[in-house]
Amino acid sequence: MWRLTPGQALLRYGWDGEYVLYNDLSGDTHLLTATACTLLDHLRAAPVSHGALAQACGIGADTAESLLIDLEQLSLVEYLPC
Amino acid sequence: MLTLSSLSPRELRKRLARGGVRLQTGAFVACVTSPIGHVADGLALLYGDYPLRGDDDFADFYLNLAPVGGLRRWLRPQVQFDHDGLRPFQPLPLTQAFSMFEWALNWCVSGRAHRYLIIHAAVVEKNGRAAILPAPPGSGKSTLCAALVSRGWRLLSDELTLIRLDDGLVLPSPRPISLKNGSIDLIRQYAPGTVFSRPVADTAKGTIAHMRAPADSVRRAGETARPAWIVFPQYVAGAAPTLTPVPRTRAFLRVAENAFNYSLLGADGFRAVGALVDTANTFDFSYSALDDAIAVFAQLADGAP
Repeated sequence: MWRLTPGQALLRYGWDGEYVLYNDLSGDTHLLTATACTLLDHLRAAPVSHGALAQACGIGADTAESLLIDLEQLSLVEYLPC
Repeated sequence: MLTLSSLSPRELRKRLARGGVRLQTGAFVACVTSPIGHVADGLALLYGDYPLRGDDDFADFYLNLAPVGGLRRWLRPQVQFDHDGLRPFQPLPLTQAFSMFEWALNWCVSGRAHRYLIIHAAVVEKNGRAAILPAPPGSGKSTLCAALVSRGWRLLSDELTLIRLDDGLVLPSPRPISLKNGSIDLIRQYAPGTVFSRPVADTAKGTIAHMRAPADSVRRAGETARPAWIVFPQYVAGAAPTLTPVPRTRAFLRVAENAFNYSLLGADGFRAVGALVDTANTFDFSYSALDDAIAVFAQLADGAP
């Protein structure tokens, strides 16, 4: 299961399919794809498995996992061991 | 309202040497003290139109430019900037004292005025709309700014674009335009009659001269402007003028890189840059001939593209 890292408000601006997002924990600004932002939005309410996220975002499970690992390295999401 | 020009050269030197003068530049009041003639001469030449505040009025910044003591008084004399007891810069040759004043005042604003987003950018205005020109040194930013100002655009700032955090408007801070090397003679020829400080050679930036801000820009320093364009200029020898749209996300990152206090402001800085980029049209602009550049900006002001 994956969850949004506590403290992240996902403040962002988007234009033409790209987004800039403010990282509340690091103060960094990230350039993200629309898919990454959609994935983050699906984590707002509750932890979700990467399979369910892939389905919700309309992407493959491997792609979702790879994206989640990238977002984890930015401290935007966390992996929750079951 | 009293202006600096109300002081005779003798009175200005006397007050600078004893107690200082409180000079208003845009939203800020700087209390300047200095016994150095170069500072007094530069202020008299370039800041005559600026409001003079009373000795008891609040000052945002205290700048003291003094000669370095000891043997330095006689052998290669130098100037030292002192700010509330801090000496953030290395001393410079005394002939660079006025340039040091300009750099010191920029340092004060960029390091302290955090109620604004401060972008390293020139900014000019026409019909209430502002064109922001962020660019690294050597891109021709100040040259283009000086040319635009000489052709009817109002100078809001040559160096520090101040964006109010509450409403996103540009707050003017018109001061002399700093020109370097070949740009000095270029603008002298392009804008005959413009007043310049005496060029100072061998500074860290080469030869420097400051161009006086138009009196109208100084008089209207309280009039904000709405950001309409963010233009990243680049002088390219022999290039035809080319205006290329920049994706807003990329413009966001480039504006943030050019903002002195983006990281310091945190989420407020992010919101300020986001609102700015959302409001303005964003372009790369390469040019070589000033007349061509002026024509492109005239088209922008007229509503195209």
